[in-house]
Amino acid sequence: MDMKRSYYEDIRLFPSCVTVFWAVVLLAFLLAYPFLFKNYYVYMANYIAINIIVVVGLNLLVGYTGQISLGHAGFYAIGAYATITLMSLAGFPFLAALICAGLIAAAFGFLLGLPALRLEGPYLAIATLGFGVTITTIIGRIEMLGGRQGLHAPDLVIMGYPLDTDRQFYYLVMIITVLLVLFARNVTKTKVGRAFIAIRDAHIAAETMGVNLVLYKTMAFALSAFYAGVAGGLYAFVLRFIEPGLFSLFLSVFFLTMAVAGGLGSVMGPIAGAIVLSFLDLQLRNILSIPYVGDWLRHLSASYFSLTGVSNIQFIVFGAILIAIMLFEPLGLYGLWIRTKKYWKTWPF
Amino acid sequence: MIDFLQMIISGIAVGSSYALMALGMVLIYKASEVPNFVQGEMALLPVFIAYMIIHSYGQSVFAAFFGALAFAMLLGCLLEFIVVRRAKNPNILGLIIITIGLEMVLLGFVSWKFGADQRVMPFPISSYSSVMFGGVYISILDLLTLVAALVIMTGLFFFFRFSKLGVAMKATQQNETAARLMGIRTNRVKMITWGISATVGTVAGLLLAPVFMEPYMMWDPMLKGFAAAVIGGMTSLPGAVFGAYIVGIVEHLFGGYVSMEYKAVVAFAVIVLVLCVKPSGLFARHYVKKV
Amino acid sequence: MKNTLLGLLLCAALVTGFAGAANAEVGVTDTEIHIGQWSPQTGPAAPWGAVARGTDAYFKWINANGGIHGRKLIHHYFDDAYNPAKTIAGVKQLQEQTGMFAWASGVGTACGLAVKDYLMENRIPWVGPSSGSRHWVDPPQKYLFNVYPLYLGDAQLLTEYAITEMGKKKIAVVYQEDDYGKQGLEGARYMLKKHDMELAEAVPVAITDTDMRPHAMRLRQAEADTVLLFVTPGHVARVLGTAKAMKYEPQWMSTTTCGDFPLMIAITKGLYEGVITASFGMMDPTGNVGEVENINNPKHELMAKYKKEVFEQFAAEDERWGYTFTAGIGFVEPLVEAIRRAGRDLTREKVVAELEKMENFQGIMGRINYGPFDPQDPHCRIGQQEIFLQQCTADGASKILTEWETTKFIPKSE
Repeated sequence: MDMKRSYYEDIRLFPSCVTVFWAVVLLAFLLAYPFLFKNYYVYMANYIAINIIVVVGLNLLVGYTGQISLGHAGFYAIGAYATITLMSLAGFPFLAALICAGLIAAAFGFLLGLPALRLEGPYLAIATLGFGVTITTIIGRIEMLGGRQGLHAPDLVIMGYPLDTDRQFYYLVMIITVLLVLFARNVTKTKVGRAFIAIRDAHIAAETMGVNLVLYKTMAFALSAFYAGVAGGLYAFVLRFIEPGLFSLFLSVFFLTMAVAGGLGSVMGPIAGAIVLSFLDLQLRNILSIPYVGDWLRHLSASYFSLTGVSNIQFIVFGAILIAIMLFEPLGLYGLWIRTKKYWKTWPF
Repeated sequence: MIDFLQMIISGIAVGSSYALMALGMVLIYKASEVPNFVQGEMALLPVFIAYMIIHSYGQSVFAAFFGALAFAMLLGCLLEFIVVRRAKNPNILGLIIITIGLEMVLLGFVSWKFGADQRVMPFPISSYSSVMFGGVYISILDLLTLVAALVIMTGLFFFFRFSKLGVAMKATQQNETAARLMGIRTNRVKMITWGISATVGTVAGLLLAPVFMEPYMMWDPMLKGFAAAVIGGMTSLPGAVFGAYIVGIVEHLFGGYVSMEYKAVVAFAVIVLVLCVKPSGLFARHYVKKV
Repeated sequence: MKNTLLGLLLCAALVTGFAGAANAEVGVTDTEIHIGQWSPQTGPAAPWGAVARGTDAYFKWINANGGIHGRKLIHHYFDDAYNPAKTIAGVKQLQEQTGMFAWASGVGTACGLAVKDYLMENRIPWVGPSSGSRHWVDPPQKYLFNVYPLYLGDAQLLTEYAITEMGKKKIAVVYQEDDYGKQGLEGARYMLKKHDMELAEAVPVAITDTDMRPHAMRLRQAEADTVLLFVTPGHVARVLGTAKAMKYEPQWMSTTTCGDFPLMIAITKGLYEGVITASFGMMDPTGNVGEVENINNPKHELMAKYKKEVFEQFAAEDERWGYTFTAGIGFVEPLVEAIRRAGRDLTREKVVAELEKMENFQGIMGRINYGPFDPQDPHCRIGQQEIFLQQCTADGASKILTEWETTKFIPKSE
């Protein structure tokens, strides 16, 4: 939030020594994480990290370029299926397959970007939504891809070293996540990123200034799809089993929710959104085990609602949290953070 | 030939329930500029309330349906008044997330209250009886839905043209600031629009419920209604109904002649094609944003 | 070579570890046995959540009656909303934080497949997945015991009955586009091939689709006289209603999934009368063929007892005494029996050994048989292969059509 005095100051990865310090602390924490927590939390970290990749990619499209996508589960599915198929049928090593899967997803992103050139708002929403649901239907029809019965992921070996536990997989996921997040952060500071922002803020003005709309809009779609594709490839190995039903419209909606509730147009926002909402998504099922609250909810259900449906409180809580975030701060969690920071900086004045 | 006609008629029949959802969607888009993901659940809750009125309080079906429609009106107004209006400098994405949040809350509430059991709504007309025109069947329930969709569309048309409130709504949609300067309470107008939209959606829900009821019953019609509204241009009431019939007929012809597997998604492919040619749908003027 | 060495070392470590604490099996204490289960309590698949609640009530009843050899069964079930990512999360959390002795049932093929490797690698017994998928037994797993008769079997028996007993000529299948539907289709094709017949029509149903008019029309065009429905109860209600409105009324047949006649007759407003479904228990056809029974039948002593003692005392007030709930009891009966037989000195290996010895065990479902583990032979883990056919009457009772019939397992390649 400080005043920037030169261009180089703006594009620096670490604006100050303090950030270097915190980055080092964060890295050390990430390194030590699997040793500090039980295996279950490592699985959860993997799951969250993968969501971070998707949401950071989605943010490049939604937050920076101002396009809307309700079809990211489609790219995610393409990435997952492409990775497994390339490995088991074409014998690719994992990393090569993962990158190829990302590129295949990017190609689809480019194709989806073409009709998107003329669309905006609800029109674009429904077009991308259609893409997402169509992709899973098509995949479900291809017997080579296991159809609706799904596919098992092959064993994962990297450079002769097998990765078959969550802890081993963790480091791979984290390295990829950190690299992709840094890449996204840097892209936003380049010519490409500036072009994205210009398109978001006023696309006609941007075009008159010489920004090639066709190039940059399709590029945003492709880049965002690449992220989703890579994440999908990793997801296939976290679950070790995929089937088309996983990649439903609800997933696309969930991705968009994480991006928007986190805070569009920043890098930290989507990360915060992915962490908070994925954590809630995984943990809200335990809401009835919370002491006192759980008993009270059960009591309430028995008197006024139904005991068999008591788990649905999860939806109410999740929905209410979403509404609360958006009502109090349109910029999402990131906006809240900025406001808090500003407040304390000038405190007590 | 009979088969072809049957497909067209069936397509129109299913299109009618999409049309009702689409009408609700368009009303809200015109008022609040948000693709309303809570449209389905705004109808779901009243439908379950109707079920409760019949089963727990032993009232007649007509009383229950009337109660449901009144409740829907109230629910729509409340959602706008309590939640949507409170959004600070809303952008379209923020509003979408708010409607998704509302969708989850209402869906969670219905599933919590009523459980996941499958059930079915009592209805004065048997949902399995049908009439036949020259070898083409149409069930009476479908016929009723068709009539309801057309009547509501016409009703809304006249409402917007001739009633004071309708004109005020149109004014609010066209230019909110100017409307407020003319003494229209735009907030109240918006609130009522939400109420009307929920009521229209509830009509669709009540006509679907005699066949099957569960908490997720409105999701698919809502999506198809959204698709139909987009084809029609998102701001045009006749466009929405027309779009809904296109979606219904295309689905049925495709399912009958080409492939049943892709029937559920073919509508979206059609939309992408339509939008490639007319980026703002068939019935809306394409506004180019000024710099 | 390196791997073998590692494996040996690991085994050695495990052996020494176990030697150090002979009786300390995970999930077993002096007074408790922890058993886990997942099921969708929310989301579109929530109607199947009653399976876990049935198991829960059953365990509570066992505990109220003194538990098993002085230990109480502690049941941990969680909601996964039919989302495999959440199933993994929940299974790992319970397994690693609390420690489960075994896993019972668990709804959903995809959800089960997502955790199968994890459970098998950790040698944790898992009994009675609540779906009839071939994935559970082909290839067989040492610690995975199937109870649910495979969908393949339902399709075979229904097709056979339609052809030989009812003399039907044109058989069509409506199938959901997943494991359940596809295996039903396969079973029907297999049986038709045996009789040198062709399928009249196969109509796929997308799970999210709510408009069944084109499907009903396809069936009518094909002039099928018998239609096998491998879809959910909701889709059955819609297909039957739509077809009826088109004045098309073939002999409808369906699976155990849609065998809850009181429910089906209610949601189809009476259209379900005359529909034939397969059934895996809750009634006893032995000697009763031709008679009318229902789920509250006092003649089936075990069911009557469960209703009075388990359901009425331990189920939630708004619970329904239906097939899903009772299936939750039936799926775990073999596990409970094996734990009982294993005695006070409880280990996983002992339970597995007791399960393998199980012969013609009968609870409220058909007879259950396991055998010593043989990686080549799925039969050692299938458990129940018996089903019978029942027909729905106007008031939702079942007319028993056949004796228990043993169905044939069809391997993947055939």
